[in-house]
Amino acid sequence: MREKATTLYIGPQHPGITGNMMVKVQIEGDTIVKARTEVGYLHRAFEKLQERRNWLQSFTLLCRFCVPEPDPVEESYARAVELLEGREVPERAKYIRVLVLELARMASYMLWYGGQNGSLGLYTMGQWSVGDRNYILDLFEELTGGRIYHMYIWPGGVRRDLPEGFESKVLKTMDYLEKRLKDYDDLMFSNTIFQKRTQGVGVIPKEKAVEWGVVGPVLRGSGIHSDIRIDDPYEVYDKLDFIVPTEEGGDIWSRALVRRQEIRQSIRIIRQVIDKMPSGEYYNRIPNPHKWALPKGDAYARTEATRGEVGMYIVSDGSTHPRRTHFRGAAYAHGITLLEDLLVGENVADISAIMNSLGTCPPEIER
Amino acid sequence: MKELKDNIINRIKANFKDATEKNDFSYNRLDFHVNKETIPSILFYLKDEMGFIHLSHISCVDWLEEGEFEVVFIVWSPKDKIKVFVKTRIDRNNPVLDNIDMIWRQANTYERELKEMFGVQFTGLVAPEEFILEDWQGPPPFRRDFDTAAYAEKTFWHRPGREDAQNVRETISKRDGEEIPDFAKKYER
Repeated sequence: MREKATTLYIGPQHPGITGNMMVKVQIEGDTIVKARTEVGYLHRAFEKLQERRNWLQSFTLLCRFCVPEPDPVEESYARAVELLEGREVPERAKYIRVLVLELARMASYMLWYGGQNGSLGLYTMGQWSVGDRNYILDLFEELTGGRIYHMYIWPGGVRRDLPEGFESKVLKTMDYLEKRLKDYDDLMFSNTIFQKRTQGVGVIPKEKAVEWGVVGPVLRGSGIHSDIRIDDPYEVYDKLDFIVPTEEGGDIWSRALVRRQEIRQSIRIIRQVIDKMPSGEYYNRIPNPHKWALPKGDAYARTEATRGEVGMYIVSDGSTHPRRTHFRGAAYAHGITLLEDLLVGENVADISAIMNSLGTCPPEIER
Repeated sequence: MKELKDNIINRIKANFKDATEKNDFSYNRLDFHVNKETIPSILFYLKDEMGFIHLSHISCVDWLEEGEFEVVFIVWSPKDKIKVFVKTRIDRNNPVLDNIDMIWRQANTYERELKEMFGVQFTGLVAPEEFILEDWQGPPPFRRDFDTAAYAEKTFWHRPGREDAQNVRETISKRDGEEIPDFAKKYER
């Protein structure tokens, strides 16, 4: 006998949801038959506000596009401005940018460790990893003055040089975190509950992945080798040696394995960056920002974040203010069209585990 | 890179007579400008025949002075490592464009956003619910001629005593009928 479908509202305030967003699901028994993402709780019209600000003043807004990982957004905006203007960036600044981006990637993955396990009721992992994440935030605080919002990468380079003895502190933190990752494996990947709840759940087939607009670790978890750092290299990623891990399964487990390996690759990149860091200028000074007009035209710069491709499209009409800025976040595909398709047929208890594995970030859907 | 770009330009221009290219970028980027009727077919062609399988972005720019919207589609080819910008101009007073979410599923979300924020109508777009704006009656808010300050003035009201640029001490003393003490008077503006 066919049961009558019940409508269930997950969110907008829900511990399993990664921000202010609602998933409206229809269930029959425990099985989801229809899902619909509803947004609109968080829109701050950042892109409209940016039209009233000069090219530099946008930075206080940019870091709030996606709170867990703000640096890729700042980097893509800064690089788009540089592409449009044709401004050169000193070599040292590029290395410092990669250092910041990789530290941000690690911090974001450590938050994900907590979120992914928390969505399955395994709370110890989150307390460990979010605690260890604070060591990275300490580094950020020393470097930029802010723990979460940095506003550090900006057009022409970075805002200030590395402090005295910063490199050795970074290396020390990396050594510590590398040791801790072994503990994470014991607690998370060897855990039978985690394995049983993630294997075969939320499967994105390889042949469908590109078509659905999947990017980043989620795409790599479906067995497709794709990474902007390799395919469309920016900053100095083409001078660094690292591998892009892929897994074949396409389920939450495969995506978790990809992230597990990527955090190790980040440590490897950071060590190389510290090793190869050249001396010299860190900032190619921009003119007075209030009189700084960019040439007429447009530019699009994209960065590999932990969620996938994030990008900034900027248009200038030749004045001191942007004509239009438009942000591209991975969650546009992951959080709405992909999630709606993927949830059908899954168990209602797996909603937040699937959302976390896709890296959905509601603040980047509604800027 | 030059050969690759020339090859793409030749193939596109052979198939789409109205396409004009812009190829003065030193990096892996190529621009095509086409009529709005050509948009679905050129995107289909780029995806199915030329390997531009990834849709990076759809954006809309309001050129108020020229009375036009410019809609931009950014596609990426993982094989050739090149991004192509397909641009079209549509009339600002009658902004209609063909829906392309049968080519890329995620285009649906971008189109819903542009529909609400700029009022661009996509023919055949299936999006039953409102996206971000709830019960919105006014003009599309991301258009350049949408006056945010005037909208806020009209929609939201000032609470008495909270006017801008007021002398707070004076207002409070008037409201509560209290004398301003002598020591405070020397700080008067």
